[in-house]
Amino acid sequence: MTSVDLVRLARSRGRLVEHPSVDRVTAEVIRGAMETICFEMATYVSRTATTPILNQSNERNATVLDATGRLAALSVGIPQFMLTSTLPVRFALDFLGPEEFREGDVFVANDPYHGGGHLPDYNVFAPVFADDPETPGRRRMVLIASIQCHHGDTGGAVPGGYNVTATDVWGEGVRWPVVKVVDRGEPRRDVLYALAANNRLPTYIGDLRAQVGAAQLGVRRLGEVLDRYGARTVEEAVDHMIDYAGRRFREEVASWPDGVYEADTWVDHDPLGHPDIHLHVKITVAGDQLTIDYTGTDERPEIQAWSTFGNTRGYTVGQIATMMDPEIPKNEGFFDQIRLIVPEGCVLNPRPGKPVSAGTHHPGAEVGEVIALAMQHVLGDRAVPQTYKTGIPTIIVGVDPRTGRPFTDHSAEVYAGWCNAAKGMDAWGAQNASFGNLWKATAEINESLYPHIQWERDYRTDSGGPGRWRGLCGSHYEKEVLVDAKVYTYVVGMKYPMPGICGGRPGAPNELVIRYGSDDPYRVTHTADWVPIAAGQRIMYDYGGGGGWGDPLERDPQAVLDDVLDEYVSVEGARRDYGVVLTGSLEDLTLAVDAQATAALRARLRAERA
Amino acid sequence: MGYRVGIDVGGTFTDLIAVTPAGEVVLDKTPTTPEDQSIGVMRGLEQLAGRFGLDLTALCRDLEVVVHGTTVADNTMIEMNGAPTGLLVTKGHRDEIEMRRVHKEQIWDPTYPPPPPIARRRARIPIPERLNFEGRVLVPLDEEAVRAGVRRLRALGVRSIAVMFLFSFVNPAHERRAAELIREEFPDVDHVSLSHEVMPRGPEFERTSTTLVNAYVAPRIAGYVEALQRKLREAGYAGPLLIMQSTGGVMHPEYVSRRAVSLLASGPTGGVMGAALVAGRSGVTDFVAMDMGGTSFDTCLVRRGRPEITTDWNWRYRYYIGLPMVDVQSIGAGGGSIARVRQGTLLVGPDSAGARPGPACYGRGGTLPTVTDADAILGYLPSDGFAGGRMTLDLDAARRALAAEIADPLGLDVVEAAWGIERIVNASMADATRRVLASHGADPRDLALIAYGGNGGVHAWAIAAELGARRVLVPRTAPAFSALGVLVADHLLDLIRSYVVPLSHVELDEVNARLSDLEEEATKELRSSGVPEDDVERERFLQMCYPGQNFDMSVRIAGPLDAGGLLDLAGSFHALHEADRGFSFPNQEPIVRGVRLVARGRVPTPDHFAELGDARDAAAARVGTREVAFGDGFVLADVFDGPRLAAGAHLEGPALVQEPFTVVVVPPGATLHLEPTGTYRLELP
Repeated sequence: MTSVDLVRLARSRGRLVEHPSVDRVTAEVIRGAMETICFEMATYVSRTATTPILNQSNERNATVLDATGRLAALSVGIPQFMLTSTLPVRFALDFLGPEEFREGDVFVANDPYHGGGHLPDYNVFAPVFADDPETPGRRRMVLIASIQCHHGDTGGAVPGGYNVTATDVWGEGVRWPVVKVVDRGEPRRDVLYALAANNRLPTYIGDLRAQVGAAQLGVRRLGEVLDRYGARTVEEAVDHMIDYAGRRFREEVASWPDGVYEADTWVDHDPLGHPDIHLHVKITVAGDQLTIDYTGTDERPEIQAWSTFGNTRGYTVGQIATMMDPEIPKNEGFFDQIRLIVPEGCVLNPRPGKPVSAGTHHPGAEVGEVIALAMQHVLGDRAVPQTYKTGIPTIIVGVDPRTGRPFTDHSAEVYAGWCNAAKGMDAWGAQNASFGNLWKATAEINESLYPHIQWERDYRTDSGGPGRWRGLCGSHYEKEVLVDAKVYTYVVGMKYPMPGICGGRPGAPNELVIRYGSDDPYRVTHTADWVPIAAGQRIMYDYGGGGGWGDPLERDPQAVLDDVLDEYVSVEGARRDYGVVLTGSLEDLTLAVDAQATAALRARLRAERA
Repeated sequence: MGYRVGIDVGGTFTDLIAVTPAGEVVLDKTPTTPEDQSIGVMRGLEQLAGRFGLDLTALCRDLEVVVHGTTVADNTMIEMNGAPTGLLVTKGHRDEIEMRRVHKEQIWDPTYPPPPPIARRRARIPIPERLNFEGRVLVPLDEEAVRAGVRRLRALGVRSIAVMFLFSFVNPAHERRAAELIREEFPDVDHVSLSHEVMPRGPEFERTSTTLVNAYVAPRIAGYVEALQRKLREAGYAGPLLIMQSTGGVMHPEYVSRRAVSLLASGPTGGVMGAALVAGRSGVTDFVAMDMGGTSFDTCLVRRGRPEITTDWNWRYRYYIGLPMVDVQSIGAGGGSIARVRQGTLLVGPDSAGARPGPACYGRGGTLPTVTDADAILGYLPSDGFAGGRMTLDLDAARRALAAEIADPLGLDVVEAAWGIERIVNASMADATRRVLASHGADPRDLALIAYGGNGGVHAWAIAAELGARRVLVPRTAPAFSALGVLVADHLLDLIRSYVVPLSHVELDEVNARLSDLEEEATKELRSSGVPEDDVERERFLQMCYPGQNFDMSVRIAGPLDAGGLLDLAGSFHALHEADRGFSFPNQEPIVRGVRLVARGRVPTPDHFAELGDARDAAAARVGTREVAFGDGFVLADVFDGPRLAAGAHLEGPALVQEPFTVVVVPPGATLHLEPTGTYRLELP
C-alpha cells in the first residue's frame, strides 16, 4: 500500500527569491493578469464541458501555482476546490521530480491520499516554462496552471461518485495519484483510454478534455506574461503577493484577543450509523500567531466517514478566510500562517485507505463549524460557520421512459438550508456565502432532464434558528418520481443541526422521508441504501435551517412582525421563540406588536432562563 | 428630409448628435437633469436649435426622427424606487427569487447583504396550478386563489403585478387566464407582466427575476416616455420617438413601456452600435469596442460586424435579466476614478470623483487624485482649452493630490506615481477586455480596438499595448459617440419561443407555427415603429444544444424548412459548435430548445461621421509641442489641432491630437491617419 505523508507535503515551501525587488505596481499588474487567466481557464471549462455539473453548476475552479507548488492566484470558484488544489501538484512534483515536468505536459490526479479531496474531484495541471535568466538558452518551469472539476462519476461500486458504505477507498472508485495525459504536447491515448474505461459516464472524457484544454490555455496565457516580464520578475511578483497576503493575515490575527479557545461539535453518525462523531478544536492566538489543534477528535477505527488531511486543511483555511478582510488575496500566504495540528488516525487525518466520500462533507464541513464555535465569544461579529449539513446528494436511479436509458439524478436542485445569521445580518438566499458561486438546477431544467415533478421547494416557516438576527429558514421539498426508481443517500443534521452563535438558537433539523405520504414511508435514519420508490410516490426532504445570532429576546419586535407577515415565522413562533406578542390577524393584515405584553413575556422568559 | 437627432443620456452629460438635411454631423452636450431626464433632453434640443440659428419650435417642425437612449430604467433599479410590485406564482415555487439558484456575489463575506426586494415574501402569492415540461395540465388553475391573491396584493398597496407559472412558455393558458382575472379584480392596476411574454423560456428563477424587474420598472418607463412625447409634441414635433434597447436596436415607446426591462443596461449599447457602423466604414469587422468615460469603462466584442449578444448570465443591479443583450462588460475605471494606497498597494477605482468635485486638476475642490490627474501630469491633456475650451486644468492641484495620497506613502516621486496609476488602470481595463473575449473564445491579437468616450483616445494606445492589438480606431465624435450610435441603430426585435425536443422529434408544423407567430408579432411591432412590412429583414434561427448543455446556439435557417433542411441544420450546428468551442459531437443528436427570430428595419446612415478641416498636410494643423511621458521619461511630442485636419492627414508619434472634448495620444513609433469618414486610425509598432 502506498503511503504519502500529507502533513509533510503541506509544509511551507519557503520562498523563491530572498529579497524581491519587484516594484509594487508591476507585482499588482501581474497579480491581475494571473487572476484574469484563472477566470479564462474556468470560463473555458464552462464553455466546453457538456455535463450540467460543470457548465451549469459552476463546480470548477482554476488556480496558478509556482514551480514549488505554492498557490499564487485563483479564480473565485468553490472554496474547497481552490483550497485543496496544491497538494496533488506537490505530490506529483515530489514523486516524479521536477525533471518529469516537461514543456507541453499535462497531468491528471484525483486521489485523496495523494493530496486530493475525494475521488470525483479531478485536478488537471500543466507546467509553464520560460527562458532561464541564469542560463541563457535554457528554459525552466516557472509556474503551474491547474484546474479542478467535480465529475459525475469516478468508477467504483456505485454510480455517482459517492459510495458511502464502502469499507475502504478502493471500493469508492478508481484512484489516479498522478498520470500524464499529454506528453510534450502529444495526447497519451493509452492513458486517456484507461481513464475513459474507468468511468461510467460517456461524457466524462469530453469533460476531462475540457479541463485539459483549459490547462493548456492557462499555459499559453501565462507564457505570454512570462515572455513579457521575464521569469525572475514574475517569481518576485509571486513572492510579493504571498508576502502581502501573509502580512495581512498576521495583522488580522494580531487584532484578535490572545488566548486559548476550545470547542466541540458532533456529526450525527457515519453512513453505517456509528453515532456521535466528535470533533474537538483548540485554537491558540498569541500575538500574530495562530495555532489550530484538532487533538481530541474522534479516533474510533470502525467509523466510515473520514476527512483527509488536505480536506481538513482546506475547510480550516476556508473558515478562517471568511473571518478576515474579504479583500485579502487567497494564496499560499494564508496557508503558511496557520500552524495546523491534526493527529494521524483521527477522523480529520485518516491513515491511508479509509473511505472518504462521505467524510469529505462530514466531518469535513464540521471543521468550519467547530472553529466558529470556538471563536464566537471573542470574534462574535465574524465567527459564523460557513458550512452545511448536506450529507451527500440524494441520488435517484432508474430508467428514463423517454430514452429507454438509465438515468442518475443527483437532485442538484435549488433548496434552502443551513445558512447561519451573522451579527447585523439575517441570513438570506439559499446557502451560506461560501457556496456563492455554485449554481443549482431548477425545476424547469431538471424536470425536462429527469422523470420527476418538483411539487414543493419553499422556505418552511419557523425553521430558521431564532436569534437577534435570524438564521435562514430551511425549505420543504417534495419530489414525485414518475418511474420506479431507487434512492441512495446519507443524511446528517437530524440530531445536530446548524448551531446558533453568541446565544442564537440552532436551526431546525433535517428530515428525509422516501415514499412520503404512502402507506409505507421510509424515514432515513442515516443512510438510504438503494431504497425502492414506485412511480407516483414522493420524496420529502425538510432541509434544516441556519442557526441564529445573538439572543432572540433582543430581536427588534418590528423585525419579528415583518417576519410573521412574510411567514418566515408564525404568530406562535414569534411568541415562543422571540417573546413577541402580536395582536390582530395575518389573514386581514392587521397584525401589530403588543408592546406591553411583549415586554412582560420577554421578562418572564428571561427570568425562566436564569 | 429633415434633421435626424440622436440623444443619449449619460450620468453627467446628455449627448446630442444631429445630422442636418445637408448631411452635416453636429455634436453637442448639455448637463443631464437626473430628477427628470426629459428636461435635459429638451434643453439639449433647444441648444442644438441655436446652433442652426433656429428656435426650438422651428427645429422640432423640421425634425425627421428623434432617437433616444435613456437611463431611467437603470436609475429605477439603482435607487430601487419602482412600482410596488406583487407576484402570482406556482404554488411551491414562491421563494425562487430569494434563493437565487444559491448564487451570492461575495463568497468570502458572511455579512454581505441581500439585494433589496422587489416583491417581499408577503407579496408573492402561491397559486395552485401546475403544468409539466410538455405543457400538459397536471393541476388546473385555481381561479378563486388568483382572485383572492389579487385582492390581497391590492390590500398590500401593490400597483404592478407579475405572473410566473412554471412552463408557461410551453403553454401560456394559465398565465393568460390569470391576467384576465387580475383585470377583473383590479381594473386600475398600473401594469401586468406575464412571464411567458417577458421571457418566453426557462428556467424559472431567471424568468421570475426578469418578469419581476419588468413589472417593477415598467410603470416608471411608461410615465417617462409619455411625458417626453408630450413635451416633444407641444414643441411642435409630430414624428416618431424611438428608444434604444439593450439588444442594440430601437423600438417605439409603447413597446418599451411594456418591455421596460429591455431598456436596462442599454446605455453602453448605443456606442457599440455606432462602433459597428464606423468600423465597418473603415473596413474593420472584428474588433473590441471600448468606451472610457468619467466613471466607467465598457467593453464589447464585435465579430463579423455584429456585437456579441448574450442571452445567458446577465446580472444587472443584482437581478438576473434573461433577455438577449449586447454583451458589454463594465468596470469602474474612468477619468474620474480615484487612486489610493491601501495596505501598501496602489488601487485605482472603482469609485469616481464624478463631475463634482471631479479630478483635483478641475479645480472644483477635489483633493483626491484621479486618472485624469495622472493623465494631466504625464502631459496627455492640454492645460488650457480643455472641455471645448471652457476649462483650464490646475496641474499643481493634480501634483499636490498625487504627492499626498500616492507618491509620499509609496516613496515615489509624483511622475512615478502618475505612471503607476496609468499602469494599474490600463491593466485593469485590459483584464476586463480579456474577460469579455474569454467568454467568446476570442484572441485580442487578432482584433482592432475602437475607442471612444471622453477618455478613450487618451488610453487606447496603452490598452492596445497590454492586449497585443496593433490597430486602434478613434472616431472624432468619440466624446458623444453613444448619441451617434442610437441615431444609426436599426429597429430591432429579437424574439424567442421555447420548443424543447430532440432534433429527430421536431415537428415541422410546430416550428413553422412558432416562427409565423413570431413574424406576425414582429411585423406588428415594427409597423408601430414606422417600418413598413416590406422593409422588415428577418433572420430565423433554431436554438440548439447537445444533451445536457446549458447554452444554446443559434443556427440560422436559410430557406424554407423541410425534413432535409432539418438534417442540414444538424450539420450546421456541429460545425458552429466546432468553430466556436473547438469541438463537436457529430454522432450526438442535438436538442432543439426553441426558435428565434431577429427582425430588423434598417435606418439611413450618414456617409461621414464628423466634419473635417482642410489641412491635408498635418504640419499645417500643428499648434505646438508638449513634454509627454510614455513610461520612460518625458519626450517632446507635437501637438495638433484635430478639427483642422483633413481626410488623408498623416502624422507620427510621439504626438497629441487635441479635439474639443478629448485627446488622441499617439505614442512614439506609432502613426495616425485621418480617414474620410472622420475616424482616426492609429497603427501601433
